[in-house]
Amino acid sequence: MNCVIEGNCVKAFGKAIHALSRIGDELWLDPMVKGLALRSVNSSHSAYGCFLFSPLFFQEYNFGSASKHGKETIKCKLLMKSVLPLFRCLTSIERSVERCRISVSTATDRVVIQFFCRHGIIKTHNMHFQESEALQAVFASHLCPNVLRAPARLLADMVMHFPPFQEEITLSITAMKVTLRNYQEGGKGHMKTLCTEMSLHPDEFDYFQIGLDSDITFCLKELRGILSFAEYHSLPVSIYLGAAGKPVCFSVDDMVLEGTVLLATLMDSESNDHSQPTEPRSPTTPRGVNSSAQAVDAFEGPSSMHHDIPAEMVTSSQGSPVINSPNRMHQNMWPACLSLPGSTCTSANTSPASTKICSLLFKAVSSKQDDGACAAQPPVLACYSDEENTDDNQPGSPSL
Amino acid sequence: MKFRGKIIDVACLNHFTRVVTTISKLTKTCVLRLTPDNLFFILSGKVTNGGVSMWCELLQNNFFDEYQMEGVSSEFNQICLEVSPENLSRALRTVQCAKSVKIKLTKKHCACLTVAAELPTLSSASRVVTHDVPVEVIPRRLWQEFKEPVMPDFDVSIYLPPLKMLKNVVDRMKNLSNFLVIEANMNGEMNLKIQTDLVSVSTHFKDLGNPPWGEDASQDGGPSQRGDPELLAEATVDIRKLQQFLVGQQVNPSKAMCNIVHQNVVHLILLHEDVSLQYFIPAVA
Repeated sequence: MNCVIEGNCVKAFGKAIHALSRIGDELWLDPMVKGLALRSVNSSHSAYGCFLFSPLFFQEYNFGSASKHGKETIKCKLLMKSVLPLFRCLTSIERSVERCRISVSTATDRVVIQFFCRHGIIKTHNMHFQESEALQAVFASHLCPNVLRAPARLLADMVMHFPPFQEEITLSITAMKVTLRNYQEGGKGHMKTLCTEMSLHPDEFDYFQIGLDSDITFCLKELRGILSFAEYHSLPVSIYLGAAGKPVCFSVDDMVLEGTVLLATLMDSESNDHSQPTEPRSPTTPRGVNSSAQAVDAFEGPSSMHHDIPAEMVTSSQGSPVINSPNRMHQNMWPACLSLPGSTCTSANTSPASTKICSLLFKAVSSKQDDGACAAQPPVLACYSDEENTDDNQPGSPSL
Repeated sequence: MKFRGKIIDVACLNHFTRVVTTISKLTKTCVLRLTPDNLFFILSGKVTNGGVSMWCELLQNNFFDEYQMEGVSSEFNQICLEVSPENLSRALRTVQCAKSVKIKLTKKHCACLTVAAELPTLSSASRVVTHDVPVEVIPRRLWQEFKEPVMPDFDVSIYLPPLKMLKNVVDRMKNLSNFLVIEANMNGEMNLKIQTDLVSVSTHFKDLGNPPWGEDASQDGGPSQRGDPELLAEATVDIRKLQQFLVGQQVNPSKAMCNIVHQNVVHLILLHEDVSLQYFIPAVA
């Protein structure tokens, strides 16, 4: 695969990488017929981001390796910390880069990024990649009961009121208003923290469809990346959400690119029915698990996707991916079993261990782990690599 | 106990936010005392904060367009709350463009100061953002800890050099030593000195001027005031405390003064139009 990005668009490409860097530490480069996809997922598999650049975005886009026929397309996994520094200073890129060429060479297992700058300067960066299956998430946005679309400015203004270290926020939606507030876990800690809340009127949205009153809690940090991308491009942001526990999707699109971020949301706890549903405290209950199982069924059949969302296909999945995450946020159960056609989350055990979460992206299968056992990554049966990466030398080894 | 205040003017909101932000840089928690005419941010000198104490007084009329309070009782018409100024500052900083900001004492999961801001929006409904700053009500029996500090019987009173300049000097001295000697006399001279095994550095300021009350006080027969304006009074303080004080100052005050009680305490006074801030740094032995 090789492609050339023209000067003005390099900044947009870089911005997309910035947005994905907020999500995960690895970047998947996935050239396809319909365009180049950049993907990332966080370590606990509760956030997934994907930017798809259509061939029109590029000055040249040659998909598929020229040399071999019928060879499968290469899917590369790069370390975010190798790629991000190349695009870190966007203003200087804007000033000096005339075009950027990205090519993937299977012979040497390298991704080559070349910046053709002013004054005849060419900067060439070679990065080893690991070949791996692309990580994709399935999300049937057309099945979401609630759909909102808002200008990026509106969302950025809202999010600005939360301090940068605020991890999670809760979004409540009813027919009358949309409320955002910061989420605090119960316990002593929350007595001392600032609680922030604000409401938006449905009129402030470009599009407001509500099918179900719901309160969802998700991680704000991972969202900020795509919001800043949307703000920069002045693109409206579409939000697809359902009940608590179901993932929420934020997406932007333009004629030549589409960006999507999927975030897991906190599961409602059955035992807290009497109190506000936005403060689930107890561990995953059987009902919680069942509802994940339902989520599973609902998302079978990725075929008829909402036209806004790039059709993403679930790749293989095995069993129930329940991963214990050392991440503090996920210690309190984020079972957002996004999609596992054919699998059942019910095999996620219903033990009271409150640190189970269901993974978004179901290529990984976890072993059940105890609370607080800080994850050694579970053995992965499906084929993407999740060992610690050194980019050096793992040419073409299909992970595990 | 009730408290409700409203700020409408953008400049007042800005000013108030800056005051709170300055306080937040000086201390992690302090006491907010509300009376019908004033607000006070108080830090009482305790071992835990290294003996440093602070008193900041604001005239409520200069900031609030509406201000209603009802104290603990009619006899003791005050409210004392322990608050984290950092939280309050954060809440205020995000709402600088608000049409109006209301601050009220409320009870949510605990006692809170709720900052409710009305933000302008494109649609007809205006957006309300609320920040709940948790506070703790201080019972009346503890109020005597939070009284206005008396002006110490100082030996020297002098105007400070421009705070930025002072901050630059102190910042560089901080790299060399933990303790700084401040000395000054009634002739407008001030020296900052540090001394280590390897090096000693001193910075001299001249023609600073002395506030008029310096002379009045000396007539009471304060020690060594009379007759010798050249005599230097000094105090050795922990340089980090001085630096902390200087770092937080965002606006140049109309008057900045320093009173020194020889080998005892350094008393810094900053006067702005509607805010006064006093800061006491004890001398180290």
